[in-house]
Amino acid sequence: MKLLSSFKKELILASRGFYFYVELIFALVILVVLLFAIPQNFSSTSTEYLHFNLPQEGREIFTNNILENDLDGESEIVEIEAGGKTFNAELIVTDESEIYIVDSEEAVRMLADSEKVIGAVIELNNNNQLHYKYYLQGYESTRFKNLISILFNESTDVLEERINNQDVRPLSTDYEPLSDRENTIPPLVAFSGSLMGMFIMASYIFLDKKEGVIKAYAVTASSVWQYLMSKIFVVLLTSVVSGFIIVMPVMGFRINYGLLLLLLLTTGFFASSLGLLVASFYKNLTNAFGVIYLLLIIMMVPSIAYFIPGWDPFWIKIIPSYPLLQGFKEIILPNGDTIYPLIVSAGFLAVGIILFAITNIRFKKTLSV
Amino acid sequence: MIEVEGLYYSYSNDDNFAVKDVSFKVAEGEIFGFLGPSGAGKSTTQGILTGLLQLQKGNASVAGYDIKNISRKMFNKIGMSFEQSNVYSKMTAKENLSFYSKLFDVETRDPMELINLVGLGGKENMRTGEFSKGMKHRLTFARSMINNPSMWFLDEPTTGLDPAIAADIKDIIKEHNNKGVTVFLTTHNMYIADELCDRVAFIINGEIRLIDSPKNLKLQYGKKLVEVEYGQDGNVKKETFSTILQEDKDLLNKIIADKEILTMHTKEATLEEIFIKVTGRGLA
Ligand SMILES: Nc1ncnc2c1ncn2[C@@H]1O[C@H](COP(=O)(O)OP(=O)(O)OP(=O)(O)O)[C@@H](O)[C@H]1O
Ligand SMILES: [Mg+2]
Repeated sequence: MKLLSSFKKELILASRGFYFYVELIFALVILVVLLFAIPQNFSSTSTEYLHFNLPQEGREIFTNNILENDLDGESEIVEIEAGGKTFNAELIVTDESEIYIVDSEEAVRMLADSEKVIGAVIELNNNNQLHYKYYLQGYESTRFKNLISILFNESTDVLEERINNQDVRPLSTDYEPLSDRENTIPPLVAFSGSLMGMFIMASYIFLDKKEGVIKAYAVTASSVWQYLMSKIFVVLLTSVVSGFIIVMPVMGFRINYGLLLLLLLTTGFFASSLGLLVASFYKNLTNAFGVIYLLLIIMMVPSIAYFIPGWDPFWIKIIPSYPLLQGFKEIILPNGDTIYPLIVSAGFLAVGIILFAITNIRFKKTLSV
Repeated sequence: MIEVEGLYYSYSNDDNFAVKDVSFKVAEGEIFGFLGPSGAGKSTTQGILTGLLQLQKGNASVAGYDIKNISRKMFNKIGMSFEQSNVYSKMTAKENLSFYSKLFDVETRDPMELINLVGLGGKENMRTGEFSKGMKHRLTFARSMINNPSMWFLDEPTTGLDPAIAADIKDIIKEHNNKGVTVFLTTHNMYIADELCDRVAFIINGEIRLIDSPKNLKLQYGKKLVEVEYGQDGNVKKETFSTILQEDKDLLNKIIADKEILTMHTKEATLEEIFIKVTGRGLA
């Protein structure tokens, strides 16, 4: 009952304050960025400019070959501009690339130059053998250049045979990857939903410290832990709301929202207890800012690793935001593990309780007159 | 109601004591004044008795509860008004009191009644962030009555208030005391202490120098004093002489014989003058 009154009071205070709206607006901004600025998948189609300096016959063989991969099986005649000139081109769109077949080498060179993409000219040399001439941008890796040269020195039959003989065994057979947009959700939710809670909690406490109201609370028949817990409830509420604002419009009904709610609550509890603990050591936000900033930076390191698949050193896994990110990822993965988020939730809850207990003692001991 | 025995407190946890070997008792229904200059240890003592500061050394009990192991229930019987007002600036006066009233297990008073009592009627829906210092202080004072406390701690309840309002506050304290409320009153204001307190303690540098009733103190130290204004070298000089001390009497005689007397009054010693006599220090 007293806890409920305190919670109601904290809601009133939060709604008349500043941070409450900051977090919600922050979530909305993230949502807008997710939906409109981050593409479904980071562009993986490439553009190529080709010119076949071949007899009509050879030209047709190549063109038809490429045309087989065209999405609608038909090419399109378009006009493209480069270097102040207009060129006619035959456009073939496959699911991997847009291929423009132009009618002069000059066009290839100018387009490669102005569009900053690869151009190629295929022609017959004196021995009536196919000759490939590439226009590169200059920053391609040696590996890429080697690949291009090897591609035509080996017979394609040999290459094909080698590829077919390679034994590729996926580690997990039911793995469906996330789209790039979905993949950016875990770090964003982790920050706006859970970790911001630490900062916002500390801000709430410092506001109260300034007004001295915690002392007034301490001389009532209600316990200090209820005062602290009611604040945590408010932070949890905002982190759940902002988490859902970000996740729901992107993921629709494809994920388990019960699990998401659980993970948001437990990680939010952990983060706000941490915020409380930090706040118990300082008089005001300015003094505590260094520590809070440092904690946020440390918590951000795993999200760097998150986007660099090959970099995953052991020490990163002991930073709390690592399991946090992985937990959110499992939840939004189409065939994600349900046990993992549960274990992570249990872990954050346990650590949160310990932090909260320490904080409670600290708050009782650091009251003043 | 309050029993304190050998209380020590150090903010730095060493032997730099803010409160040193303090012992006293406050009887039920009594108004006990805690008087001393700034930094004497008044708020510290009150902080220990209300559980805000951890008891370090000594024994204390308040309203029958041992301070070593404070039960939350004790606070149903206690009211505390803070030296520095502390109310939620983002809530209105009424919201502040309404919320506070829910934190007790006992019957509480109507917030509006208390707001009117301290002269803030009409301001109840104003956010306290827009209150003046004195208004906030009155609200803090009003809040301390919300749970009908039988033990009432008041830390400087009249500081920063204009004399008329301070007099109202004094009357409120007296009224509650008449209904049986025990009061522990910390103040600089000697007139209020004089009028209200059954007994006062003089505290200085963390130590209690003396505990007695204002009446006894005046009988003991006051007697009659004569205040004389006289002219000397073109200036006006003002001096106070005891009518009992031989030394004072001789001096007074000399002045009457040699100087031009401007005014001469007899008066009773104030608590403040007694304080200065006892401690060798003023209260300011
Ligand atoms: N939070 C604190 N940390 C360290 N020292 C403190 C603290 N609060 C008070 N003190 C010191 O303890 C001593 C007693 O202070 P206290 O506040 O009890 O005085 P007081 O009698 O209430 O004075 P005032 O009339 O100014 O309110 C002072 O020397 C003061 O400097
Ligand atoms: Mg004080």
